[in-house]
Amino acid sequence: MNKIAFAGFIAFVSSVLTLVSLHALSSDQYSTDAEDEHYTLEEVEEHNSADSCWKVIHGGVYDITDYISQHPTDEEVILEWCGRESTEGWDNKRPGVPHSARAAAELKEYRIGRLEGDEAQSTAPETQREESADDAGSPAADERLHRALLGLPLDGVYRGVFSDGGEMQVNVQFTVREGAIERLSYRYLAYRGEDYRRLESDHAAYPVWVQHEQIAERLEGKPLTAIFQLYEPERLIDDVDGYSGATLRGNKVLSAIRDGLNRGVYSWP
Amino acid sequence: MGVRLKVGDYVLIVVCFLPWLVALPRLGWPIGASAGSWLQWVGISSGILGLSTMLLAAVVSIRLPGFDRYFGGLARLWGIHRWLGFASFMLVMVHVTALGLSAASVSLPVAVATLFPPINHLSIWWGWFAWLAMLVFLAPTFNFFGSLSYQRWKSLHLFSALAVVAGVLHALLLAPQQLVWWMLGLAAIAAIVWRKALSPRFSRVPYRVKSVTQLVNNVVEIALVPEDKAISYQTGQFIYLTPLDKTLAAGVGEEHPYTIASASGDHCLRIGIKALGDASAALQTVTPGSRMMVEGPYGEFYTRRYPNRDQLWLGGGIGITPFVAGARHIEAKNTSEVPKGQVQLLYLAKNAQRAYYHTLFKHVSQMREDFGYDVHYFQKEGPLTEEYLRWFCPDYAEREIYMCGPPEMTQHVRQLLLDQGVPSSRIHSEVFDFL
Repeated sequence: MNKIAFAGFIAFVSSVLTLVSLHALSSDQYSTDAEDEHYTLEEVEEHNSADSCWKVIHGGVYDITDYISQHPTDEEVILEWCGRESTEGWDNKRPGVPHSARAAAELKEYRIGRLEGDEAQSTAPETQREESADDAGSPAADERLHRALLGLPLDGVYRGVFSDGGEMQVNVQFTVREGAIERLSYRYLAYRGEDYRRLESDHAAYPVWVQHEQIAERLEGKPLTAIFQLYEPERLIDDVDGYSGATLRGNKVLSAIRDGLNRGVYSWP
Repeated sequence: MGVRLKVGDYVLIVVCFLPWLVALPRLGWPIGASAGSWLQWVGISSGILGLSTMLLAAVVSIRLPGFDRYFGGLARLWGIHRWLGFASFMLVMVHVTALGLSAASVSLPVAVATLFPPINHLSIWWGWFAWLAMLVFLAPTFNFFGSLSYQRWKSLHLFSALAVVAGVLHALLLAPQQLVWWMLGLAAIAAIVWRKALSPRFSRVPYRVKSVTQLVNNVVEIALVPEDKAISYQTGQFIYLTPLDKTLAAGVGEEHPYTIASASGDHCLRIGIKALGDASAALQTVTPGSRMMVEGPYGEFYTRRYPNRDQLWLGGGIGITPFVAGARHIEAKNTSEVPKGQVQLLYLAKNAQRAYYHTLFKHVSQMREDFGYDVHYFQKEGPLTEEYLRWFCPDYAEREIYMCGPPEMTQHVRQLLLDQGVPSSRIHSEVFDFL
């Protein structure tokens, strides 16, 4: 029994640590993806030696300088492609035989950005945008739909309301600058006569007010299309959940924002 | 642990699954669901069972005299306690792992946030706190990093109270089935409070040391007389003894279990004590007239299930004490009393010097027809053989067999008996060196 308990304990600690470290590692990954830099072919061409070897493969730019010594072939084979568009070499390890999936995964580690003006090509093999099945067709995640739904609004201060059941529930004010939403605030927020802006922190509905404040924080500086995430507010705020038990109606806020946009600029900046 | 389930076992099983059964209508069955929801179901179920086993482990630790008999004696109840604690520890870890993995089916950040939410989600952190408290007191119990001294281990075991409180808070903040957790949680806490705070004050009975008789160089028999009211016990039971003699070298104010060597009718409470550890070594020179607190009795060495059947007793070392009590009982009883069957006692001693109760048994066997006796010397004759046993007690396979003694002896004898096809349900022993 002692041994089993100890084995269970070790297995447990390992799996929790694995989960946490996987997460830590993958968030690094996300951050590098997020700041995907653009390079011109001229910039890549400057790095054409063993001292600094950059390559373009399927539109991605890779600095493989540190990897050269680990490559299983003679160095010449890999150095030949430094500072060049190397997709051909990548896809033909041997004539007609591309590099393996494992190699592709390793290559990812050396990505530093993408080749300017090569967005369309850059999807394969290393930067496939991971859209989960949930996102397909979702009105909260379809960028083109958002653009179609919105005209390009003018910069300025907007005010809008959401009314329902004979009472005004949401009244927002926000600023639009260069297509981004800023300084979203609630001039009024109530339901059945309860003013959410004046709730005590121990009130059962107080988390709902906190969540509304989070909406304002999280939308700050985001493109206007981000408001459609409010169809599924959990995309935007982190504790619409079972912990507090409180629920948020993101679509009311969305409706009020869109009302403001429809009305047009309230005051010029 | 015997194969037969006792009354108490059935009650434990029902209560153990009760919270889960209450939760089941909401949980449903994950048949045909995705791996994620299946894992979540496993995670929640194991959490519920993990907490109920933890609370039951606390409840059965109450050590109320008489309570243990529904579980086949205190030693067996201790085994159940240990199993419950083990099950709880494992289930709690399954609980966390399964819930973490089920959330990983959405995304890694979600999985990590499930296990490690923002600090204000106290409900989850209470769960972690409970697990940590469990680790503190179970790591030495399961010898993760070596073993501790008994008293040290005992005080660390008090962390179980923290684990119970934190675990119940975790459940109360998260689970919709409040009532069942309140009931079980309060029962668990009540048991710990009784055991640790109240029972030392209320269930210990004061006795005085009347005499200390040295049997051989490291074995004494202590006779105790009650100061006021005596405990009422049956032959073969044991008690917890807390010496208060300040001159003792060790174990003053500590409780340790000892088998009662007197028959239930004796006005003295007699205890055979062999120097096996610091505390029992110190007791060899306990001052006559000093005070001792007695708690008990516990155990049911002679189960009352078959009082009319013939019996075979096999005792060795200090494990002879329950049979001393038994022989004294037979000596004192009138023929209408139980046990009605004939008893054969085989004393398995190292040599003649170590057979320190030989004279007593010899005397009783001469007085009573229903008590046969012989002594087997290990040093001279080697380990007990089947031929010897058959010669001494030809119908041993038909008898209820009681044995008590050092582990090597009981293992050897048990194996010998099992090899002869004696069912293990007929072999009774109670060992409490771990209490």
